[in-house]
Order: sequence, then C-alpha cells, then structure tokens
Amino acid sequence: MRESAGKTVMPPDNNPAPGFDATNFGTTPEERRALDHLFSETYEELRRLASSVRRGDPSATLNPTALVNEAWLKLANSPEIASTSRLHFKRIAARAMRQVLVEAARRRNARKRGGPEGVMVTFDETLGDGAQLGNDLVALDAALEELARVNPRQATMVECRFFGGLDIPETAELLEISEATVLRDWRAVKAWLANELHRVR
Amino acid sequence: MDSAHWKKIQDLFHAAADLPPQEQRAFLKNACGDDDKLAAEILTLLAEDSQGSSLLDRDVAHIAGQVFDESAATSLAFKEFGPYRIKQMLGEGGMGVVYLAERSDLGTQVAIKFLRDAWLSPARRERFASEQRTLAQLNHSSIARLYDADTLDDGTPWFVMEYVEGVALTEYCRRNQCSIERRLQLFRAVCEAVLYAHQHAVIHRDLKPSNILVKNDGSVRLLDFGIAKQIENLETPVEQTRDGLRLMTPAYASPEQFRGERVGIRADVYSLGVILHELLAGRLPFDFSNRSAAEAEKIIAGQAPEKPSAVANRAKESQLATDARTPSASKTAWADLDVLCLTAMHKDEARRYQSVEALIRDIDHYLKGEPLEARLDSLRYRAGKFVRRNRRSVIAAAAVVTVILGVVVFFTVRLAIARNAALAESARTQRIQQFMSNLFQGGDEAAGPSDDLRVITLLDRGVQEARALDADPKVQSELYQTLGEIYQKLGKLDQADSLMHSALEERKSIFGADSREVAESLVALGLLRADQAKLDDAERLVREGLAMSKRHLPANHPDVAKGTAALGKVLEDRGEYDQAIQVLNEAVRLQSSGAADATVTPELASSLSELANTQFYAGHYGASEALNERVLGMNRQLYGERHPLVADTLINLGAIQLDLGHYKEAEAFDRQALEIDRAFYGNDHPETASAMTILGRALVYEQRYDEAADLLQQALAIQERVYGKVHPRVATVLNDLGTAALHQGKLDDAEADFQRMADICRQVYGNKHYLVATALSNIASVEMERKQYAQAEEIYRDVVRRYTEALSPNHPNTGIARIKLGRALLRQQRYTEAEVESRAGYEILIKQTNPTISWLQNARQDLAEEYTALGRPADTAKFKAEFALSGNEPK
Repeated sequence: MRESAGKTVMPPDNNPAPGFDATNFGTTPEERRALDHLFSETYEELRRLASSVRRGDPSATLNPTALVNEAWLKLANSPEIASTSRLHFKRIAARAMRQVLVEAARRRNARKRGGPEGVMVTFDETLGDGAQLGNDLVALDAALEELARVNPRQATMVECRFFGGLDIPETAELLEISEATVLRDWRAVKAWLANELHRVR
Repeated sequence: MDSAHWKKIQDLFHAAADLPPQEQRAFLKNACGDDDKLAAEILTLLAEDSQGSSLLDRDVAHIAGQVFDESAATSLAFKEFGPYRIKQMLGEGGMGVVYLAERSDLGTQVAIKFLRDAWLSPARRERFASEQRTLAQLNHSSIARLYDADTLDDGTPWFVMEYVEGVALTEYCRRNQCSIERRLQLFRAVCEAVLYAHQHAVIHRDLKPSNILVKNDGSVRLLDFGIAKQIENLETPVEQTRDGLRLMTPAYASPEQFRGERVGIRADVYSLGVILHELLAGRLPFDFSNRSAAEAEKIIAGQAPEKPSAVANRAKESQLATDARTPSASKTAWADLDVLCLTAMHKDEARRYQSVEALIRDIDHYLKGEPLEARLDSLRYRAGKFVRRNRRSVIAAAAVVTVILGVVVFFTVRLAIARNAALAESARTQRIQQFMSNLFQGGDEAAGPSDDLRVITLLDRGVQEARALDADPKVQSELYQTLGEIYQKLGKLDQADSLMHSALEERKSIFGADSREVAESLVALGLLRADQAKLDDAERLVREGLAMSKRHLPANHPDVAKGTAALGKVLEDRGEYDQAIQVLNEAVRLQSSGAADATVTPELASSLSELANTQFYAGHYGASEALNERVLGMNRQLYGERHPLVADTLINLGAIQLDLGHYKEAEAFDRQALEIDRAFYGNDHPETASAMTILGRALVYEQRYDEAADLLQQALAIQERVYGKVHPRVATVLNDLGTAALHQGKLDDAEADFQRMADICRQVYGNKHYLVATALSNIASVEMERKQYAQAEEIYRDVVRRYTEALSPNHPNTGIARIKLGRALLRQQRYTEAEVESRAGYEILIKQTNPTISWLQNARQDLAEEYTALGRPADTAKFKAEFALSGNEPK
C-alpha cells in the first residue's frame, strides 16, 4: 500500500519481529541463517500438514515425530546441519515448532482483539475450538517460561516431548537423565501445567 | 514459585500419587502439617493427574491444524485496498495465498499473492521477495507478468501478477483432444519460456502442468516462480537446504533434486521431460502416489521410465492411442518421440539434453522430419568412453571429449543438410538414408549403437558408405568434406587429409578447377594444414582459395568473409600478428557489412574474438581489451548472460589483467567465468575444472597460495576422473599446482607435481615437445629454491637445448630459460658464464613486441650484479638504470 499511512495492527519493522530466536543455538551468522531456514521449513511443513488435516486427507497422519524425522532426513546432508547431532537437531526443530505455534496463536489473538477501526484489511475471525486452543497455547508458553525459571531441564523436556515428538529414551539421552526420571518428571510437570492452563481459562 | 518450593511439591506429589486415592488426603495432611495451602496445591495436581486429559496429551499436528485454520484458508476475506478489490481465493501453498482481484480504476483482473505470516522468519520474507524480483526481471509473453508490489500495514508483503484464466496444460490437451503435433507445439512454447528464464539466470525448479496454463486463445503462461532460483545464488551454502525436495512436487522432480543436490538448468530439462511424457503417454512415467519420499527416490533412481510409446499403445482407449495409429505418429515417429522424451528425462544429468535450447532443437528436428541430435546421445557417451579408453592415441592430437561431442552433433546436422540437399536433387533417397542410418544407428535401431561401437569405427564405416556413393559425386564430395572435418576435429589429421583431398579432387572434376566449391575446399584444407603445423602450405592454400572465392562470388559473400577469417587465423598461427590483425579486421568488416551497428552474428563474434586474441599475442593489451569487451557484449546478446562463450571471453579479459599485473581484476573476471561454467556445466565438469585452474593461477599471482592450492586440487581431481591420470589437461593443472606448492615452500610436492607434468607431456606429445622443457624448467626452479644450483644449472642447460630445437633459438621461452640458466650460474659465482646467458636471454626478450617484463627485469638485475663482479661499472650502471626505469611498468 504505497499511499496509505493507515494504522497498523503489528508494525512490521519498529517492533522486533517475534520470529525464531536462533541465538540460543547458532553462534555464527551462517548457523543462524541455517537455523532460520530450518525453522521456515518446519513452519511450512506444519502449514501443509494443517491444510491436509483440514481437508480430511487420509494420508495426513504425520505426527510430530514423523515430521521431525523427515525434516532431519532432508536436511541432514546440508553442511550446517551435518555437524549437528540428530538429537540436537530435534531439539532445534522442537523449539521451532513451539515458536511457530505459539506465535501463530498469539498473533491470532492480537487480531481477534481487533486492530483500531479504519484498518483497511482485516482477517475475518471465526471463534471455535481453534480460539480456545490458541489461548491454551499462549498460556502453555507462559507456564513453560515460568517452569524454565525454576527448572530449565523440565521445561526443555516438555518442549522436546510435546512440540518435538521426542520419545522417552531420546529425551533421556538428550537431557542426560534416566528414563525413569523422564517419566517421573513428565507426570508431575504435566499435572502442574494442566493446572496452570485451567487457572487462566 | 521458587526452585525449592517446586522441589517440595514434586516430592510430595510423587509420594502421594502412588498411594490409593483414599489414602492421599491423609498422607498429605500428615506430610504438610499446618501448610494447608501446600496440601491444596498438591491435591489440585493429583486431580489433574487423575483426569489425564491435558493439552499435552493432544497431537501437535492437530493443534497446528486448528491454530492455522483460521489465519488464511477458510475465512480470509479482504476488503478493498489501494486500487484493488479482492474477489476470491485462487489457491494457497506452504508460503503464500493467491487471490483474484479487480483493479477498480482499470477494471482489469489481477492475481495478488500475499505472504502469510511474514513475521515468522526473515528467510520466508527473503524467499517471497526473491520470487518477486525474479518475476520483475522476466518479461516474456509466456510468463505471467509482475505488475505491482508492496507491503500491507501489518507487514504482510504482497505482489500483483497477471491473472491467467486458463486450464492446466495436460487438461487442455485432454479436453481439446490435441494431436501430437499440437501437443509438441504447446510444449515447445513452454520450453521457450523456460529457456528465456534460463537466459536470465533463473531456474524454475517446480515445472509441472498445474504451473503451466493454456488460455482460450491457445497461448501458454508459465506461473509460480515461488521456488525459482537465481543461478548466481546457487553458491550460497544454506541454499542447499532449500534446494531440498520438500518444496518441489515429487512427480516432476529430477533425481538430483531427490538427492538434495544443488540443481542446475538440467533439473528443469528433466521436469520438462516428465511433462512431455505425460503429454505423449497420457500419464506420468512413475507413480508416486502413496509413496514416501524415500520410496519415490528409490524408484526414480532404480527404475527406467517406460517409453511413452509403449504406455500409449497399451492404453488403447485413450485419445492418444488413436492418434498413435494415425500416419502423423507412425512407428518411426514414436521411436523419435521416445528418444526425445527419454533423453530429456535421463537419470544421468550428463546424458540429458544439456540445455532447453538443445531440447527445442530436437523438437524442431522432429517437427521438420529431420534426424534428432539426441539419437547420438549414447553415441556421444560412448565416444567419451572411447576417448578415455584410448587416451594416448586420441590425446596425441589433443582431442577432448567435449569437442568431440559438440563436433559430432554439429556435423550430424551438416550431414542431415547434405542429405536433405541430396534428397532434393536426386532420386537416390534410399541410399542416402541408408548411409545415415548405418552411420549413426549401428544396425539395430532399438538397441542403439552396440557397446564396442567407437566414434572412429563409426566414421570409418561412414567413409566406406560414402565411397560406395560413386554414382552420386556431389553428395559424395560433400560427405567426404564433412567427414574430413570431423576427423580433423578428432585429431585424426591423416584421415582428414585424405578425405578432404578426395573432396577437393572430386569437386575439381565436377565443378571445374576454378570454382567456388573448390575454393571452399582449398580454404578448409588450408586450415587443416595449419593444424598439421605446415604453415607455409596452410597460408598458400587459404590464399589460393580466398582469391578463387573472390573471383566467383560478390565481395560481401559469406564464403569470402569465411576465407578471410581463415587467412587471419593462419597468419595468427604463424605469429605474423600485424598482418593477421589487418586481415582479421577485413574479415570483421565483411561480416558486419561495413556498418558499425551491424547485426550481431556468431561468425562476426568469432572473428572479433580471434582478432582480440591476436592483439593480445601482439602485446596490444588496450586493443585486445576493447575487442574482448565488444565480444563479451555480442556473446551475451547471442547466447545470454551465462553462456560458456561469455565465460571464455571473461577469461580472456582476465588474462589481459593478469599480464598487466592487475591480479585482483584478473581474479574478478576469472571468478565470474567460473560461476558461469559451474552453473552451466555443473560442479564436476572438466570445463568447470579448467575455469578453476585459471582462477587458481590468478590466486597464485596474488600470493594466496593456500586458496589457490585448494582450488587446484579440486580441479585436478575432476580432470583426472574425466580424462585419466595421463592427459594434457591434468598436466596443465599440475603446472599451476606445482607453482603454488613451490611458493608454499612445499618443495617435494612441487617437484613431484612438475615431474608428473613432465612425464605426461612426454607420453602425450613426445619427448621433443616444448612442454616437456617447460616442466623440466619448473623442476629446476625447485632445485634453485633448494639452493642446489649445480643441479638446476644442468637441467636449465637441457631446457635451453630443448626450447632451441622445439621452438627456435630466439623464442621468448628460450630467452627466459637462458636468463634462468644465467641466474643458476650467478648463484655459483661463475660470473663470466652467467653474463653470457643473462645477456643472451636479455637480448632475445628485448626484441619481443610483448616482452615478459618480469623476466626482463630479472635479467637486468642479474646482469648488473654480474658486471659488478666482473668489474665493468659502465655496464652495471646501464642495467641498473634500465631496471629502475622499468620499475614502474607492470610486472
């Protein structure tokens, strides 16, 4: 829109874009770029997945585990990823998924609250299960932040298991703890998170 | 909450959770004592735990489905913005959504693409912007045009394209029951659009019928450059992750895309092949439905696609099968269509059509009923193998596979022309056709040439066939001439000689000793003599032919220009640069019909290029540079920005800069050339390796030895793999690699490289060849570095003898060798002997129009030192002064 100086719902440039925060993972600009690409691909895969689920496509049975595994197979040969272990990669993919989903939900909520009047373009929202899920995801994200403060390892565990589809043995290996500990932590954390979600509803 | 509190909660939770529900409350009351709040907290957690249904138990995939559901696909409705009014959604992909919109001020319909969720990552925004840039630079009637682009207030980028109302290519053909010819014409139009994109350095990478729409008026439009790629960007390493199959449609993806390799224009050629297959056979060559990517990759790598003819014949009920029974698609026609299609979608990139242009040529050949160039695919392949197997004999004449390939194709077309001419004027159609089929099909048409069929065998057979055409002397002489030229390019100069001689004699008796046909033969024979290093004969023949052409033809006839250019080339070979420049200027004048803004033709570009080379050899760098710039412009116009001929010209420009001592500039040219060759030929091609070698050389001059060595090692590996361990191209790389090693102080490596180079040159060219001397001279340089001056001296003496015999006593190489010998003697303090050599070398070089300044300066330095030692102060002063004066000149 060349002429319009209309108000913005979310200014594209002045606010830092809440994109994938690769700083935790990549140290060099190349690594960060590679991770950004990885992140983008994960996002687009989720997109495709979402639309195939919506269409009721019977082949749309991809679960996060399959998705991440496939992403790994496709990306494993690239030089940036080659030095990354498979588990580390899954960890990154899990982080990507968390950010994709939470940011999509957050953004969606922002739109729903409605931009100022006079915005020429808006997205027509329908409230449904998606809306509740969106709220839950945002709440989950906040709760995970809180958990990370008191026990970062457990927060990572949730991220990997829920968003990345890592199984128990993989989670145990990544976090360097026993499988029994994973199971034990998972149970407590799940109960706690469920309660946090209920509280904000 | 703090860590300690959380720890306490967990401990109590676990302790209580394992108890039966009825005991939990009592346990907690006991464990928490007065802290009711803590007990309540844990009871809440226990309740959540027993409920068991939490967000965390749900499948992320379904959550994603829900969360993304509303953002675009189902209920996205725009109002107006700017002059556009959104009407309906046309489609969505992983990245963007496309809407149909109306431009209210103009009343026209357009398509607008939005990038969904642009905020997510810079990579997505970059990819979207890249598609927009790509479209902006493509301005072709068969490519959907870009009209407008900007960003919404919320940061969503969008661009406006031409709205194409039409149906997918395959669907169009089905609905309209198009004939095979019509299908090919539509397909050809698609190829033209893809070729245009390639010429603008854009690879589409996602060609498929749904991206190719046919409008009501029957014109085609190519859409969706969403994952298209600028060729120059292919180097960026992270792009590899994006070249992945993920973004591509598997059914049309090339094997290299499946493998996740970097893709070039030949990936598009493959996809076009699949589309052609679908158009001809009515279905896809491979069925990937319900297959995973890994399974699909296995199929595409392991299975040969069925011939479209076989599929079409089987599908009797299909419309195409009906076509197949019509005369327009006879059994012979199907055989050609099979070859056309399967060549385009060959699994091995190297055996595919090397460009869309080549594919178009063969479509045209088919449509005109001419023989296909791809018929030679397996022949070419075997020619390459033949050359590798028979390296020594073939190399002796420095024939290289690529030359053979190009030449065989070129001459096949010429043979086809000869044949067609013959058809027009003679009734002996059968014989000619048989000649052609015997020559290039080796008997069994379906099987192609048998395994042991060799290029030379093939040509020998061709000669026999030609000899049998006694009753048809005109055709016979044309075939002799053509076959002779093939032999010449293959380095079989004796056979070439005999055939071209026969052609000449035959033409004399048919057309008369003084005729334009004889003139043409004389010029060709003259060029052969130049290759045979019989330069006197060469010049005489070419001059005779040219004079004859001028007698029979108008001054502006192409034959006259061709003869003039040939004379220029021969004079250049003779080292008569001044004359050559004059003659080549004349050729250029003829080829541009005197006009300054003449039509650019390949012949004109070629003559100018020859002229540029001559000016370079003559040391006229300025003139050469200007000419090369002109050639560069022409070649770009003729062949597109990124054609190997453009790379060649860039290399020439680099060579000038290198000689001028402008190493950085040289490097820049060489890098551009390498990029072009790499994009055109691929990473592992000998031409790419050759460009690497040249760049490596520039880096050596820049004293960036490690980078140079790295590049040269890669080049060496490629050349060795393609040509074997013993080949001139390998020797060339070894020369530069040795030089880099020498400068790196890796003296043993350097010596080994030069030693190998010497051995190769001995085997390939014979012991007396001057390149053997060059290699030896380099070995001596290693000895100098080791301060083994006596050894160096001995080798240099040998080198001087060799150069004197192989070249001449006054050749610059001889001069340089003597200067080097002088230095070896100087280091041994044998001043009197040293002075003789340094002085002799100096005298040789100073006479050159293009003296190699650095060696001249070396000589001056050494001479000054020698005269000081010999007590001749006046001479010392003279050379010191000269040295100082030349100091500012380029090295």
